[in-house]
Amino acid sequence: MSPANASSSAGSRSALRALSDDLAAAVQRASRGIVAIHARPRIPASGIYWRDGIIVATSHTIRKEQDIAITLPNGSRAVAQLVGRDGGTDLAVLRFDATPPKDAMSVVERASADALRVGSVVLAVGRPGDDGVTTSLGVISALSDKWRTWSGGEIDRFVRLDLSVYDGFSGGALVDADGGVLGINCSALARGTPLTIPNATVDRVVDALLTRGHVARAYLGVAMQPARLTKSLADRLQLGDAPRGVLVIMVESDSPADRAGLLVGDVIVAAGGNSVTEPQDIAELLGAERVGATLQLSVVRGGERRTIDVTVGERAPAAEGRRRGGRGS
Amino acid sequence: MSVALAARADAVGVHASLASELETLATQLSLVTVRISSHGTRADGIGAGILWPLDGRLIVVTNAHVVPPSRGSGFLIESVTGRVANARVVARDREVDLALLALSEPPDEWPAPASIGDARSLRAGEIVVALGHPLGVGGALSVGVLHAVPNGDDVLVRADIRLAPGNSGGPLATLDGSVVGVNCMIAGGLGIAIPAHVADRFAHEVSSG
Repeated sequence: MSPANASSSAGSRSALRALSDDLAAAVQRASRGIVAIHARPRIPASGIYWRDGIIVATSHTIRKEQDIAITLPNGSRAVAQLVGRDGGTDLAVLRFDATPPKDAMSVVERASADALRVGSVVLAVGRPGDDGVTTSLGVISALSDKWRTWSGGEIDRFVRLDLSVYDGFSGGALVDADGGVLGINCSALARGTPLTIPNATVDRVVDALLTRGHVARAYLGVAMQPARLTKSLADRLQLGDAPRGVLVIMVESDSPADRAGLLVGDVIVAAGGNSVTEPQDIAELLGAERVGATLQLSVVRGGERRTIDVTVGERAPAAEGRRRGGRGS
Repeated sequence: MSVALAARADAVGVHASLASELETLATQLSLVTVRISSHGTRADGIGAGILWPLDGRLIVVTNAHVVPPSRGSGFLIESVTGRVANARVVARDREVDLALLALSEPPDEWPAPASIGDARSLRAGEIVVALGHPLGVGGALSVGVLHAVPNGDDVLVRADIRLAPGNSGGPLATLDGSVVGVNCMIAGGLGIAIPAHVADRFAHEVSSG
């Protein structure tokens, strides 16, 4: 059918047309590295071809561990196995049984990290099945520094998106207007809010899962809650004007805290030389690199201040799935 | 971003250019989009329709759910220029959610019909626009991108675009103003449209039969 009343706006190279072409080209470029993963009932999940033979996906969309069918960008099928998953960052790593040929797909190209800016135009590209890629358009709505998920995972930057979440969003890629990948999308880490796990975090978790099968998680074995000390006690112990700390309300048997002699009722007022006012302050000192290191705690017990050295332990990976956030460290 | 866009940015500023192009596009689409209402309820338009090209005849394509039998078979069609015409429902197909209305007495200076495109030739991520009367707001423009390329002949078009009740029956169009779909519902935050070639086939079938 011929356009009967094609308009003036259909002119040569408009800015709008150029933008549209850029966006479509960005989706096309990224789509060469986006796969569909058939590892849950109903809707397949998206995944990203991250390195040769390696797919990264979101853990919550992968319900199967062996002989997982993968739809490649060229429409053909391949089989992959789950290498490992990290509940903390909601990432899963899969490995192809046989690395697909180069004409079937290619490892995604990364955008530079400085492309992460509030207001940047971005596209979420997924592949929820055999019917091609899907996308939604939006902007990066907020950025901040390193944060810790509700399940204890460390994520290098907080990247919040303003765009539509659709079937297949999680596990897909966030790409800039040039089609460079900024990270993997996930809607399960912050109550449905669309977020992106940046490339640096994905690389770190992929390395850990490929070499050890799990992500090391430092822990002490205590549950805590914020507590306020009386002014007279604070004055006597020279704790300053805002005498606050965290009260130990549970000590896990045979945990690093138990072995160091920490007791229920202790109030931790400082850790590693920094003052502590809420459990998160201690959680932030427990990066994976701290496993085996000594953490010096300053606690108030029986009205006296004392120092307890705890050797930071590593949480057994099997226990991770059962831990549901909370305030433990 | 492409060189073309960057070069243009130097000349006039990207935003000014985008805004004026979208304005032109909205004006162009508003000419082929009508408001459909029942007799006696013109104040609250109940949906949108598209002036569809059909062998020189004046017809309107809309959704079946915009012109349900419960509202009779006679409707009022209002163009963007404020011209009002009576129309009667020639065909309704609830399964594909399409209806065809014929104008009984075409008024003078009635706008020319839409140009029809093909949703199957679009690319995911390409900008698409919709025009309609969301929640009664007349001639409102929505801008989004194609969510997925329709895979198959009669597969519904999915766009990442903000629609609301009142967009039903209105056009989903490309940047050159070609209608590629008839907006029909909102699902999972996406705008869903019946592909233009399906609507065109429907229009030809029911008008020849």
